[in-house]
Formats: sequence, structure tokens, C-alpha cells
Amino acid sequence: MISQNVGSETNVKLPFAFFAFSFLALLASQIILILNGTDFSSGNFRSSSILSAAHLFILGWTLMIAMGSMYQLVPVAFLTPIWNEKFGFIQFGIFSVGVSSFGIFLYWSPQHALIPGIITIIGVIMFLFQMLMTLKKQAKPSILTLFVGTGLVSLLLTISLGISLIISWKTGLFSSHYHPIFRTHLLFGVGGWFTLLIFGFSYKMVPMFSLSHGYSMGLAKYVYFAYVSGLLLTVLAFFTDQDILLKVGFLLLFISFSLFAWHISTIIKKRIKKKLDKPFIYSLIAIGFGLLFHFLLFISLFTENSNDLIGPLLFLYIMLWIVLSILGYLYKIVPFLWWTHKYSKFVGKQSVPALKDMINEKRVILFLSSFIISCLLVYFGFIVQMFILVTVGLIHFSLTIIATTIDIFQVILK
Amino acid sequence: MEIIEKVRHELKNVFDPELNINVVDLGLIYNIKEISDRIIEIDMTLTTPGCPLHDSISSGVKHCVEHMKEVDQVYVNIVWEPAWSPDMMTEEGKKLLR
Repeated sequence: MISQNVGSETNVKLPFAFFAFSFLALLASQIILILNGTDFSSGNFRSSSILSAAHLFILGWTLMIAMGSMYQLVPVAFLTPIWNEKFGFIQFGIFSVGVSSFGIFLYWSPQHALIPGIITIIGVIMFLFQMLMTLKKQAKPSILTLFVGTGLVSLLLTISLGISLIISWKTGLFSSHYHPIFRTHLLFGVGGWFTLLIFGFSYKMVPMFSLSHGYSMGLAKYVYFAYVSGLLLTVLAFFTDQDILLKVGFLLLFISFSLFAWHISTIIKKRIKKKLDKPFIYSLIAIGFGLLFHFLLFISLFTENSNDLIGPLLFLYIMLWIVLSILGYLYKIVPFLWWTHKYSKFVGKQSVPALKDMINEKRVILFLSSFIISCLLVYFGFIVQMFILVTVGLIHFSLTIIATTIDIFQVILK
Repeated sequence: MEIIEKVRHELKNVFDPELNINVVDLGLIYNIKEISDRIIEIDMTLTTPGCPLHDSISSGVKHCVEHMKEVDQVYVNIVWEPAWSPDMMTEEGKKLLR
């Protein structure tokens, strides 16, 4: 008998291609943001420069990182290799051209962003097709498949709604539904895609990084159904303008997130590894932030100025739940990929570094804490409407996230 | 020292890079057999199915034992039954995780 090989490891060049591009998109988005800081500070979020910076950040950085990570994590979580790696490289090429041109057109001429938008959506559809074909090969689908699968459907809806917004912009079509479509676009992008994706992969990564055993997965299906019901009710509320539906939708999202946070805490309690790695602790802190912001978003609906509160809260939700989770896990994923590429072949032959030796945990604490502070500065600047505080927070934020990303990728020097 | 014990001792040089504990103290090595002269078969597991370090650790075990002067050939089988549990760790392994 020979050693069984599940053959589920992805060629590291594929996720690294996504990660390398994401870094360039991050730089571009932060440069645009700083150069046009007055639009952001004054709350003019729909200016062409802010739209360009936001899409370069969300599509070029966050989505690129998510795609690159999924090329590595899907084989791990679902015990099946990626369907077609060559197709993955082509998808990367098309998506990166789409996102770059989309960011440029949104900045210079938003009315002409349709074709770059279509190239971007082709890149996303190719990614969805790749994932569909990969998940189809999974021998035994699980609740994780449902989380990730629904996340992928939400991504498709997000992008399709985004394109319909551009069509509406250009032709006036759907103009009477512009606002509900815009809100649904945000909801599916932030809640449907990123949150469900992080839920799904957390159920694999939390036990793996904490070495937890003997926990129950029973609660996961309630988390899933509550969250998806919350999403659907909220969309219905957007289109019918029913206040009570919106409140019930946000309440269900909050209940689901509370169940998720509770479930993860029960898994962590069953851990064997008592001293958790610092990046992983920050991913757990991000869950706490997500829970807090879901609660605040729900409460804000009962205030008179909820429209003014939701925008800044959404900013915190994206940064301190989604981006902080991603940064925490990136500090685990990137060293792992590089370690596999460089040292895997030497295991059993010579001494090799542990994964923990690939990063400097003191810098992890410094950068990720600094990242949290910068986001809070921007938020409080908005709340008290202090222009200088938003600007300082914004510069702090840009420098910190760039420094953090460089710190994560300096692992390739080891 | 008989060959089985020598192999087990040698395997203490193969580490799980995530936990930084060797595969023996981690309880990953289920069985070591000398199936014929100088040919070794090892049944081992991993802490979780789909462990991303699957190939690195299993080939590390193979390389490590292949390099022993008493061994000509090694077969490594990854098995999932019985599933790994923390009880399979040695006292030394448990101490390292505290």
C-alpha cells in the first residue's frame, strides 16, 4: 500500500496570484481615498472617487483575497481538489482586468463603466462555475456547503444588482427601484456573501486552529436558517418599504449572529490548544465586533436618525467584522502556503520552522490593534462630525492596512 | 532496540508545523509493522480529515523512516478509523499544548 494522497492541495501560485493583485488594488484604493479624502469626510459616499476607491477595495482587495483564499480553503474544507486549476488562472486574468478597468472607469467616467463591469461579472461567473464544479465533486455535502453555496449565490446576486445599478444610471431603467436595488446590492454583498462565507469557513478553521474536539454542530443549521430568513425579509422590506419587516429582518440577522457567536464560543471551550495564536484571536475578536454591530444596526432602526447612523455602522461592520476576520485568517493562510511551497519537501529530512515562526506575533498585535483604532477614529469622526478626526482616522487606516498587508506578505522572505 | 521502537523513536523528528509537536506525541502514529525484512508499514492519522498539512506530514513520515539504515522501504497508510482524539496524545504531547 502506498501513502494515500487526497490530492487536494492547490498549486500555491494560484492563490498567490490573487493575493499579489489584491495588494496592488489595495494600494490604488487607498491612494484614491486619501487624495479625495474630503468626499469621504463630508459623507459624500456616492462621488465617483469614493465609488472607485470602494470598489477597488471591496472587489480588488477583499473579493480577490476571498477568491484566493477559497482556492486554498475549499479543498481543505470540502475534501475535494479544485475542479480546474488552469481555468482558475484564466479566471484570475479576466477578473483582474475587469476590476482594474472598472475602478478606472468609475473614477473618470462612471457612465461608461458598463463594459468593465461586464468583464468583472464574467470573472465572477467563472469563479462561481469553478466553485460549483468543485463542490459538485464533494462526496458528502454538509452544512458548510450550504453556508458557502448560499454565499456564492449571494455574490452572483450582488454583482448582478451592481450591473443593474449601472444600467439604471446609464439608461434610467429601473430608476424607480434604484434605492431598494442599491440597498439589496449592499445587503447581499456584505451579509449574504462575506458573512455567510466567513460563517462557513469559521466552522472549519476555528476547530482546526484551536484543536477542538467533541463539539456539536447542531446549532449551525439554526444559524443558517435565521440568517437567510433575515436577509430575505430585509430585501422584502426594501422593496415594500415596510418598516416592521425591516425590523424583523434585522432582528433575525442579529439573532443568527448571536447564535453563531455562541456556537463558536462552545467550540472554543472544547479546545485542546490552550494558548491560541494571536492572528486567530483577532479573527475571534472580529466575531465580537460583528455581534455588536448587528445589535447596533437593529437598535438604530428605532431611532429618528437611523439613516445617518446606518452608513457609519456599515463601515464599521465591513472593517471590524469582515476585514478584521480576513486579516486574522490571512496571517494563518499566507504563511501556510509559503511554508508548504518552501519547506514541505524537507519534513522528515531536516529541521524545518514551525508555522508560528513564519510571523512576528508582536507585530500582529501592533498592526491589528492599530487597524481597530483607526476604524473607530473614522467612525467617531463621523458621529461627532469632526472633519479632522475622520481625516486623521482615514490616513491612519490607509497606512495601517498597507503596513499589515506588507507584514503578512513579508513571509516570502523567510 | 528492536526495529519498531527505533522507527517510533525516529518519528519523533517529524513535527506537525501548526502545533509544533512531533507526530508520535501527538498520537498520530497508530501502528508500525515490519511486514517483511527491512520493509516497514505505518498506519497513521491526522488530527482532522482534510488537514491542509496532509501531504507534508505523511511524506515527512515516509522520508524520515526511509533514511534509517535498517530500513529499505516504507509504506504509509493514512487511516481515519478510529478517528483521532486528544486522548491519543502522550502525556508529553498534552503538556506541550497546555
